[in-house]
Amino acid sequence: MATLELKDVRRYFGGVKAVDGVSLRVRSGTVTGLIGPNGSGKSTVVNLIAGVLKLTSGEINLDGTVISAEPADNVARRGVARTFQNIRLLPEASVLDNVVIGFYRLEKASLMASLLGLPSSRRESRELRERGRALLAQFDMSAYENVAAGGLAYGYQRRVEMMRAVASNPEILLLDEPVAGMNDVEARALGKIFARLAEDGMGVLVIEHNTRFVSELCQEVHVLDGGRLIAHGSAQEVMRDPAVIAAYLGN
Amino acid sequence: MFAQQVLNGLISGAVYALFALGFNLIFGVQKVLNLAHGAIFMTGAFVSYYAVVAGLPLWLAMLVAMAVCAVLSVLLDRFGFQLLRKYSVADAEFGALVISIGVGQVLTSVAQKASETKVLSFPFGTFPVEFYRGMGLRISLLQVTIAALVAVLVVCLAYFLKKTSFGRQVRAVAINPRASALLGINGGSVFMLTFGVAGALAAMAGVLIALSFNSIQFLMGEPYMLKAFVVVVLGGLGNLGGAVLASLLLGVAQAMSAAYLPPGLSDILIYATLFVVLIFKPNGLFGGAVAPAGVGRQ
Amino acid sequence: MMEFFLANQSVFDFFLLTLGFSYSQQIVLRSGVFSLASAAFAALGSYGCAYLVMRSGMPVALGIVFGALIGAAAGYLTSVPLARLRGVYQAIATLALVEVTVAVALYAEPITGGAVGFNGIPKSIGTWQLLLAIFGVGYVLYAMSHSRIGRGFDALRQDEYVAASLGVSSRSQHTLAFIASGLIGGLFGALQSMYSYSIEPHQFGFGFMVSTLAAIVLGGRRTLMGPVVGSAIVILLPEIARPLAEYRQIVVGAVLVIVVIYAPQGLADTFIAWLSHRKTDASAKTAAHEITGGSNGHA
Repeated sequence: MATLELKDVRRYFGGVKAVDGVSLRVRSGTVTGLIGPNGSGKSTVVNLIAGVLKLTSGEINLDGTVISAEPADNVARRGVARTFQNIRLLPEASVLDNVVIGFYRLEKASLMASLLGLPSSRRESRELRERGRALLAQFDMSAYENVAAGGLAYGYQRRVEMMRAVASNPEILLLDEPVAGMNDVEARALGKIFARLAEDGMGVLVIEHNTRFVSELCQEVHVLDGGRLIAHGSAQEVMRDPAVIAAYLGN
Repeated sequence: MFAQQVLNGLISGAVYALFALGFNLIFGVQKVLNLAHGAIFMTGAFVSYYAVVAGLPLWLAMLVAMAVCAVLSVLLDRFGFQLLRKYSVADAEFGALVISIGVGQVLTSVAQKASETKVLSFPFGTFPVEFYRGMGLRISLLQVTIAALVAVLVVCLAYFLKKTSFGRQVRAVAINPRASALLGINGGSVFMLTFGVAGALAAMAGVLIALSFNSIQFLMGEPYMLKAFVVVVLGGLGNLGGAVLASLLLGVAQAMSAAYLPPGLSDILIYATLFVVLIFKPNGLFGGAVAPAGVGRQ
Repeated sequence: MMEFFLANQSVFDFFLLTLGFSYSQQIVLRSGVFSLASAAFAALGSYGCAYLVMRSGMPVALGIVFGALIGAAAGYLTSVPLARLRGVYQAIATLALVEVTVAVALYAEPITGGAVGFNGIPKSIGTWQLLLAIFGVGYVLYAMSHSRIGRGFDALRQDEYVAASLGVSSRSQHTLAFIASGLIGGLFGALQSMYSYSIEPHQFGFGFMVSTLAAIVLGGRRTLMGPVVGSAIVILLPEIARPLAEYRQIVVGAVLVIVVIYAPQGLADTFIAWLSHRKTDASAKTAAHEITGGSNGHA
């Protein structure tokens, strides 16, 4: 059960203040939304949390442990998983292999065991493939187990990315525009999955454009505009906030 | 004779510049490590030799060599590197390297066959042997010619890239190929031009070197490839002015070490320098395009 | 049959050596590192072993072990500065490293014998030892491919950012790949010095690089079978194409270009992929049937 906290986080690119003092919390067991018009800095926030970008100032911590300077692989190992705005699957690998790599941070086999093909390593590889298959079944993708991920239709690729992100049971899940390009029916189905993940204890941060989706799903919503938070509260409160309406219309 | 060494070094540096400029141009515009460049340089020398032997005046032989190598270079691009566009970046980089190695091998073997593994020399009198003395220094007519040719070419190239619209297109493609395509720049003709120019420059360098040492052999391109690496790294990727400066520096450094250090050591020092610069300043001493780094926070 | 084998045993031995060197080259490429340094690792292992055995009187077996360790150490040392570079910059740096190694071998005459190299090395290695080494290395590479390490390498090669987001440390995995490449290169370099009667610097230069790259390109970069097929082609081509022997370089060059463009995965890997495609095509077809009529509905 972990809480991700951003304290007055800023990121400037020369003169451009992409993120200008953002503070928020993502608590376990909740789905938090981060919305805002195009160019408001949403993806920059994700990249700052995930370890891709340096902070100009401010702090990001996970249950008190500061992760602001940790590179992406360290952040991932602490249990922060993310998806990408434009889906990034491993194109040559099969669907199952793409999911199995999601378990990477949980793998325990030692270097020696891996190099020598000792039973512990082989057993773990086998078990991971079984877990991967179970996950595929959960997401109705069993039939595509051996298909190269690069050749799948968009909707299926999204599913694979989702499976990969949740495979290692992360504490915090960052979703970067997870329902972009989907119709309402598809989006709602995916939303149900996110809600269930939160119920099971994950802290989910959803960065989205689709305000209806966010208002149906998120307990708490933050609104970003020009790198600053202009509103915060429940979905209903935020949608009625005149500043928010202005930000979206004025764009 | 310190000053004499410096002078000799500057002249050989000038020739390196010709060779390295072409290589750098290709690297800058296409991000391709063209290991066939040395073989093209060698082909230029060979073509000019056969042209001279066939009776053509030297200046015409050089032009013929430049034309042939320009065409060869363009063919390498059209039927080699361009066909890799459909693959991922990493695959394309690797593939380009392999293609350039393959083509280099082919050219080198053809030359080996044609010359029967012998070292060729221009017929006596191909270039007048004259020396001038002044300020305690000695310079040959050939060296003067080299300096003049290279200077003129560098100036023309700089003018072309900075002042003409096509030159601007070349620079645009070097900086951002996708955006350039969106802006309507014809990538294909830009590539064709850069490869053609690079080939011609390499050929000229080949002829000048062949004249300087009066020896032409099928492996003559290899040492120059490595010098080109050094120049590209020191001078900065895509930085043509830096490439010229680095070439001159390299030429002088080589002349110095040949004069004052035991043989063999100079090569080691040069490659070691390359290694060190690459580690600490991958965008070169004079600044060039940034080399892609790892995945630490940016 | 036996005569055929005995007559061609040395060809087979060279095939095994080329294969070993190809594995050293392949492992780094597999993890996404564009390193061409295997020639340098081989040179260090080769000269190291030859020196220890001939000048320090070390027993051959120990000399070979040391050769491998020297290679591994060199691999580690190379990984440190190269951690900051990617793509063609790594290629340039490792090419420079290979050239420095050859230059040093030529220059340091008292230790390496200069251009003449080491001569009169007693032949202590034969086909069996080479086969043993190949099987040993092959086993470890196979085990590695199917383990956490292999998964990490594949992810790093295909998309370094995604791999990082899943917890794969490119720093540590690339270091591991370099050490492995150094170990394998050094091992087979040492074996080669104890197999041939002499070694000299230019053996580990551009020609070495071309033949190991050719083996990988022609055979395949991804699977363990790839270099086997590729090395066989590289070794056998001059033997089979005797009448073409004069034009061997030209043929090799042309074949390299054609394969890289039209079968970029290499001949063996392309074949293996084609085989598995036929299997998945069949299962995907049945899957498509089930999905379109099912409860999910949308694609």
